[in-house]
Amino acid sequence: MIRFTFDGRALTAKPGQTLAAALLDHGIKLVGRSFKYHRPRGILSAGVEEPNALVTVGTGGRAEPNTRATDLYVYDGMVATSQNRWPSLSSDLGSALQLVAKALPAGFYYKTFFGPPKLWLFYEKFIRRAAGLGPAPVEADPDRYAQRAAFCDVLVVGAGPAGLIAARDAARAGKRVILVEQDAELAPSLLRDPQEIEGQPGSVWAASVAAELRAKGGRVLTRTSASGLWDDNFICLSEKLVEPGQVPQGAFTQRYWHVRADEVVLATGTLERPLTFANNDRPGVMLSQAVRTYVSRFGVVPGQRVVVATSNDDAYLTATALRQAGAEVVAVLDSRPSPAGQDSGFAVLNCAAPVSAAGGKRGVTGVTALIDGAERSFACDLIAMSGGFTPVVHLHMQAGGKLDWDDAAQAFVPGATRQNVRTVGSAAAPAPAETFGALGPAKQAFVDFQNDVTVADLDLAWREGYRSVEHLKRYTTLGMATDQGKTSNMAALDRIARREGMEVPQAGLTTFRPPYTPVSMGALVGLATGEHAQPTRRPALYDLHAAKHPIWLNAGYWKRPRAYPVGSETLAEAGLREARSVRQAVGLCDVSTLAKFEVQGPDAVQFLERVCQTTVGKLAVGRGRYTFMAREDGLVFDDGTVWRLEDNRYLLTSSTGGASRMATWLSYVRNYLCADLKVSVVCVQEHYAAIAVAGPQSSAVMAELTGAEAPRHMSVSETGIAGVPVLLMAASFSGERAFEVHFDARHAEAVWRAIEDKVLQAGGAPYGIEAMELLRIEKGHLVVGPDIDGRLTADELGLGKMVNKAGGWIGAATLHRPDFADSMRKQLVGIEAVNGGSIPEGAMLVRRVGEQAEGHVTASGLRIMEGGSIALAHLMGGHMRHGEELYAHSPTRKQTVKVRVGSPHFYDPSGERYRD
Amino acid sequence: MLLIPCPHCGDRAQAEFAYERTADSVVPLDAAPDQAVAALFTRTNPRGIDEEIWRHTYGCGSWMLIRRDRVSHAIEWVKPIGPAVLP
Amino acid sequence: MTDVVVERLGFAPLQLLDLWGDPGGVQQVLGHALPPVGRAEGGVLRTGPTSWLIEGEVSALKAAISGDGAIAAVGGGLLRVRLSGPNWRSLLMEGGLFDFESPAFTTDCVVITVIDHVSVTLRVEGPDSCLAYVPASHAADLLHFWQISAGGLPQ
Repeated sequence: MIRFTFDGRALTAKPGQTLAAALLDHGIKLVGRSFKYHRPRGILSAGVEEPNALVTVGTGGRAEPNTRATDLYVYDGMVATSQNRWPSLSSDLGSALQLVAKALPAGFYYKTFFGPPKLWLFYEKFIRRAAGLGPAPVEADPDRYAQRAAFCDVLVVGAGPAGLIAARDAARAGKRVILVEQDAELAPSLLRDPQEIEGQPGSVWAASVAAELRAKGGRVLTRTSASGLWDDNFICLSEKLVEPGQVPQGAFTQRYWHVRADEVVLATGTLERPLTFANNDRPGVMLSQAVRTYVSRFGVVPGQRVVVATSNDDAYLTATALRQAGAEVVAVLDSRPSPAGQDSGFAVLNCAAPVSAAGGKRGVTGVTALIDGAERSFACDLIAMSGGFTPVVHLHMQAGGKLDWDDAAQAFVPGATRQNVRTVGSAAAPAPAETFGALGPAKQAFVDFQNDVTVADLDLAWREGYRSVEHLKRYTTLGMATDQGKTSNMAALDRIARREGMEVPQAGLTTFRPPYTPVSMGALVGLATGEHAQPTRRPALYDLHAAKHPIWLNAGYWKRPRAYPVGSETLAEAGLREARSVRQAVGLCDVSTLAKFEVQGPDAVQFLERVCQTTVGKLAVGRGRYTFMAREDGLVFDDGTVWRLEDNRYLLTSSTGGASRMATWLSYVRNYLCADLKVSVVCVQEHYAAIAVAGPQSSAVMAELTGAEAPRHMSVSETGIAGVPVLLMAASFSGERAFEVHFDARHAEAVWRAIEDKVLQAGGAPYGIEAMELLRIEKGHLVVGPDIDGRLTADELGLGKMVNKAGGWIGAATLHRPDFADSMRKQLVGIEAVNGGSIPEGAMLVRRVGEQAEGHVTASGLRIMEGGSIALAHLMGGHMRHGEELYAHSPTRKQTVKVRVGSPHFYDPSGERYRD
Repeated sequence: MLLIPCPHCGDRAQAEFAYERTADSVVPLDAAPDQAVAALFTRTNPRGIDEEIWRHTYGCGSWMLIRRDRVSHAIEWVKPIGPAVLP
Repeated sequence: MTDVVVERLGFAPLQLLDLWGDPGGVQQVLGHALPPVGRAEGGVLRTGPTSWLIEGEVSALKAAISGDGAIAAVGGGLLRVRLSGPNWRSLLMEGGLFDFESPAFTTDCVVITVIDHVSVTLRVEGPDSCLAYVPASHAADLLHFWQISAGGLPQ
């Protein structure tokens, strides 16, 4: 016996029972309150289509709201709670809303939008409290979800007899097969309607087929929903390894499969349609096949005095099962004329259909039927209804399949397909049934149970002109609940078609979109949670930095030290101290994340002169230069340095943040635009670790480390540090004499430690991104992103003098566009606070607060030794406005600082400190 | 997710690829200013068949031209782009 | 109960050979031709239409390809990880996009694909092991992913 609780009440269940079955077994009919009107609701179905019996299952972060009690197998210790009721299910205050149901007709939301906004804000509070499903848990989900790929020749969805046979045929033909079944059991229809297949009891046969599939290398997944079928037969499967809310037994609670299949076979079966009559949503009104499932599969008889209402033959099997289980079949209401059902042995009334159910939250007490035009009432405690069968064509449609109309079944069936998808079994050939429309008072006749859409709502929408099925759906919210209208679509189409005087197929059908059944957010996220929510890239020196407990900066996916605080230093204090040590002595900084490319070959120069806006050809071996790159539209998008290491071998560096864009761009230029060049471009970003050593003492430090005179500014030498071969490039991003040491990242720690030793001896310190920013802003060096934002030309960035006048670089042609001649385009300037205060980054530049912005602050820093706020900015016509005073105004930070425009080079503008 | 036949690797999942641009938006190296501006800013955007440049970025890294129907997503053909390749 | 071992082999001297021409003398140097796309031979893996990843000494090769291609060192950026045991194929299906379970993916097959959002180069070493070349910066993440995943592979 399995123990569980429902709304705190301790109950038991038999093994294999769903929560719905267990509740019915205990005589519990009232399971939930409806979304809008708080009407008492029970259990309609025995499957995933259930619109009414939604519960929250589990507790804490494991709680899963809106779980269908019909699609939830009871486990020991399960905690299930009903939803949308207060203070309790049976005495729900919100159900007073039933009295004001008239206030919430179709299109209610839209109508409130037309009124004054304040009115909607008033309604919203009221609606949010009243309407709704279960609340999402606030705690983090403690469980893990796996994501997995699979490939097969044939994927079969649905392990009913048709699906099992299709899978077995494929496996016997030597194909790789995956068979998925959303139920916990194979061939659930054979548990509802036991029969022999190939000389074996149905369930024994099903198990033997599954065993054969597995023996042939196939995969059989139960408790797995095919939630979406996409292009080229890409299918997503959502597999429950344990039930919702249950503590997982292994590493994972669910597995989300991405399957690619050559062929998809849909054996998805049908869904039974409800009949539309007044109070058809009362507890105790159930689908006929569902009643039979509870009786035959779960051993639960949901009622003792039953009226069966049907438009087809299938419901007679339900009547038979009920009678065999000891229930009384009061009457069978068959909408079809005699002799339909007359040989069944039941009290069959032809041309008969229910008009209205009686009863309330404790369940139905009777039904009034229209029989050949006359009304007649029956006392009963269960109404088993069948309005025919709708093939499950969701996946077929998701794959771009068309639908055909089956008149005998009054249903859409799968038609032509675009992909290698076929449908077999009852989904392709549903049982015949007729339809006869809605009966009884329209305001109590429910079409969409979950979203509380009645026949009256559909009629109102139709009268208001919402006649296309797509409009009607949005206006009434029909079919837009978590069940996506599985039980409501056909009844609604039937109603529209009757109003329009057309056939159902002419009325059309809305598009089915994935997922077929709700998928847990966790399954879509997989292991990408918490610190793994996005990739983390760690530079080779990560562990070494981590031991210093730096303040980290997430630079894209990279983890970079922002500062190395000493004692109780704040970020700002540490950054300033580190920057000052570079200005006064020497510092070292990990710049390994820079993009780096080896460009080799006889045509390497030609290639680089295409990509770089500066000259490259004039570089002698052993020399390097600053460079920048334009897009085809002539705007600068990245910058870096280029070094000639050998005659035909160059190293190109560019920004960290633009690294993957640059890799793609170089590859595009090489392969698409310059396929004939004899050149090789290899991304060596991760191969080379790189350490910047900057400050007046840097030359001495490098000389000591290498035993040779340090190269002069913008020269490169191949030398060694700590026995490791290194490229020693004299280049500065700080305004000081500085070097970049590039070397095989395998030796990163040895080289760092050797350099750090000497730096510390020289009175310096390691520095992080914060100090690097302060240094480069003061010097007026640009970074890709805020300063080089892909919207300015080289001229506008103040780089015009370096542009290769001979042209030939990408973007040269477009740069002659007349738009670029506009002198009021933004240009790079420096700004300095004139009356103190700190210039806020991102602030707009205005003549007066309240006037139109003429520019913005791209990077804010300070004079490192003297203090005083300085910044780089983009300003309209900025090059001609040096000396002008403006305001840097940030409404979001509520700061306004008076600034003077000037050159971006605040520090050593002539570059004397670069040279020894 | 599309299945894209990489000219070098065969059928691979779309997630291994990156879309670059439509073929008509390529600016040749020797493009005249008017031609470059037209390619960048006044492209066609046809419903249905178009030719696009993709890269097998997270696979072999190669570039290709894909002619496909942007309504049905059906790929008509794929041609390799780039230097001559050894077998 | 994990039937796959994830072993961090560390770094090795690796070179990337990139060709723009067709060098004649490679066969003499390597003792075999350059492998086609999707294959490896000896210490040479084809990684792209014009590129090969080479484990081992390349100075003779450098001379042989002179004028037709170039060689760049890349070993500092690639961590080598060996996945071994009967379930290595199953582990690679976690968070992946490629059919590692295909019977055609046999010894000396090479694939570059995405696993848990990381671009990884893989070479089948034999029925029970596979060598992965993982970008060094992503390695800690991917090893963590493999360790978690290995604990819950489906049967």
